[in-house]
Amino acid sequence: MHVVVTGIGAVTPLGENFPASWEALTAGKEAHAPLELFDTSGCRCHHAASAKLPPLPGFSAKALRRLSRASRLAIPAAREALASAGLLDSEGRSLLRELPVSVSTTSGGMGFGEDFVRRVLARKRSHLYSQVARYLPQQQVLDIQQALQFSGHSVIIANACASGANSIGHAAELIATGTADCVLAGGFEAITELVFVGFDCLQATTTDRCRPFDLRRSGLLIGEAAAFLVLESEEHAQRRGATPLCRVTGYGLTTDFFHLTQPKPDGGALVQVMRAAAEQAGIAPAHIGYINAHGTATPTTDGVEAQAYRTFLGDALGSTRVSSTKGAIGHTLGAAGSVEALFAIEALRTGKLPPQLNLQEPIPDIAAALVGANEVAAGMQHVMSVNLGFGGSNAALLFSRSASA
Amino acid sequence: MKIDLAIIGQGAVSPAGVGVDALFHGKPVPVDVATLGQPEKAWPVLRVDQKDPAFNRWQREPRLRRASPITFFLVEAAEQTLTGLSPAERAETGLIVAFSAGCLAYSRRFFEGVLKQGQHTASPALFPETVFNSPVSHVAAVLGLNGAAYALVGDESAWVGALQTASVWLQMKRVKQVVVLGVEEFDPVVLDAYRSVRWLRRQNSTQGFLTSEGAAGVLVSQGVPEKPRIITARDGWIYRTRGQVACAADKLLNETDPKLPIYPTAQRNWLGPVEQATTLKRSLIATDDQPYLGEAFTASAAWNTLRALGRLSPERPRLLIPVWGLNHQLAFLQLGNGNS
Repeated sequence: MHVVVTGIGAVTPLGENFPASWEALTAGKEAHAPLELFDTSGCRCHHAASAKLPPLPGFSAKALRRLSRASRLAIPAAREALASAGLLDSEGRSLLRELPVSVSTTSGGMGFGEDFVRRVLARKRSHLYSQVARYLPQQQVLDIQQALQFSGHSVIIANACASGANSIGHAAELIATGTADCVLAGGFEAITELVFVGFDCLQATTTDRCRPFDLRRSGLLIGEAAAFLVLESEEHAQRRGATPLCRVTGYGLTTDFFHLTQPKPDGGALVQVMRAAAEQAGIAPAHIGYINAHGTATPTTDGVEAQAYRTFLGDALGSTRVSSTKGAIGHTLGAAGSVEALFAIEALRTGKLPPQLNLQEPIPDIAAALVGANEVAAGMQHVMSVNLGFGGSNAALLFSRSASA
Repeated sequence: MKIDLAIIGQGAVSPAGVGVDALFHGKPVPVDVATLGQPEKAWPVLRVDQKDPAFNRWQREPRLRRASPITFFLVEAAEQTLTGLSPAERAETGLIVAFSAGCLAYSRRFFEGVLKQGQHTASPALFPETVFNSPVSHVAAVLGLNGAAYALVGDESAWVGALQTASVWLQMKRVKQVVVLGVEEFDPVVLDAYRSVRWLRRQNSTQGFLTSEGAAGVLVSQGVPEKPRIITARDGWIYRTRGQVACAADKLLNETDPKLPIYPTAQRNWLGPVEQATTLKRSLIATDDQPYLGEAFTASAAWNTLRALGRLSPERPRLLIPVWGLNHQLAFLQLGNGNS
């Protein structure tokens, strides 16, 4: 695939933009804090990784009220990505009036949907219209399109927690097939009560710290974020003089049929998806310098994932470094694959590796590979980001150093 | 976007019955359903007959024991599209499903339970079934579709996006063929929602739609020149206000061949007048002889595509279907006969 990344942007629980998020991440900070967005008194878990909503210049107070929390996260992240690609004019509008988008989410503007159900059950009839009109995921896409003033093809992928990787992989395929020459890709997710309570009732959330790949792990921390990338064909980027940050060289996707919420115990589907991405890039697993792992810190999945990395990497385990950044920003669900892809790309560019936080007793299968504090790996040529989700969705993205980066 | 997908299988579940023939000859009968917020008020709704014997085989599937109606609509429609495909061929088949509201029934039940009985009583059995791609995963597992699988979300235009995505997968050689489906399930909460945005049809009125549910889809592949095909799929004419939609519709029509007949699809929804106004000077295909199936978003877009395919003939080798997305964007498909 001759596809390059020319812009990135993110709003995460660690920062209102990507540079702030990256700095905090590599400094070992984490966003674990009491959740204040709604009452959690009936839940086991009362903590989450919430993001501070960045200001949105140019929006009136009324316009801001109409935006879902998801849009409040997505618009600034998309704007930052376009700006970093040099595709934003001085008025904050996209320079490309036609710009395809490939985005991901699991719950869109669900907060509005929840308010709607609350009001309907309470027989309150006011403000129903605005909540219905703005809750579906295409409304957040429309919010982005209108805020940045572009239109064009759009696709919204909802493959649970692998969606954020799928949106990038799909964007790369749109370019690889000549369907598009520049695509805004990414994912967004805001914390909502339905989803928080859902994971809580499955006892998938932790009441402790989030400890990916630790023997004492007890569950995930719900997070929220938005992250976007500008993907272009190499020719398109060259024509407009854009400097690539990296290349997208591999994309694998598989469906694991074992169980709706659990991966097959041998990790076979996950190994398959990583191999597919590496084969597409034409590289051996040993050439991958860093893997941003899914690593939710749930008792079942982390063990399967660790085994899958051991199988996939073989003798390279240890020289390939691995960490899950969910220990720092929580599980951002439909945004996870996009945010984590950005972290992998920045590791490739800078050589700095996101440390594995909250590690006390690592899972033996993967202990040798986990990133410690302040680790640096200069000269990496390839990095990978891996995600899996409900329904058995698995996705792996491979990014490679760009000659001109 | 020129996509050139050969249609090698079709399937449908609708209030008119199970199977593609029912889309043309069925006689759906509305039933009155009370809204969630005002139980004393009822609206006519077109429902799928879930007691149809076609669903029996799926209800016996262990994997589907907790699945919501949307999964049953989906698996039945998908199986129809796959008729004649061997297990080995199914293993090389991808699956793309376009949703609008998705797993609405279980989502509403789950959250209503949280609100009425408390967070501590939330159901761990229901929650995983509320996720958009759960039905996709069930269908892929039950039918042995080992290729890639995507759940896509949007208004009616997501159906067009799903077909475009299938074309990309085939070009990338990810799969040999792809099942593409649109699906929607009914829940009383949508009556409150559509009523609040004035989309529902009042008694003795011709304005507004009847809420509906069901699924439909196609099995698509490359090559196979003798089969009918989807030649072009375009989306991206976005709008937010009524003022913007007329302009978007004009732009859409301007990009189509004015000589091609149009299969009208707005079906008494709020974009009906826009469709009428923008297609005044175009040749419209009469659809009065087909049953009214109500509005089921991506499922409607898929039903319309199958019904329009039925209107292709040697005299009418190509036609256009506008896909009027009700709350994001407009799109269109161009269909053609085999070897057209």
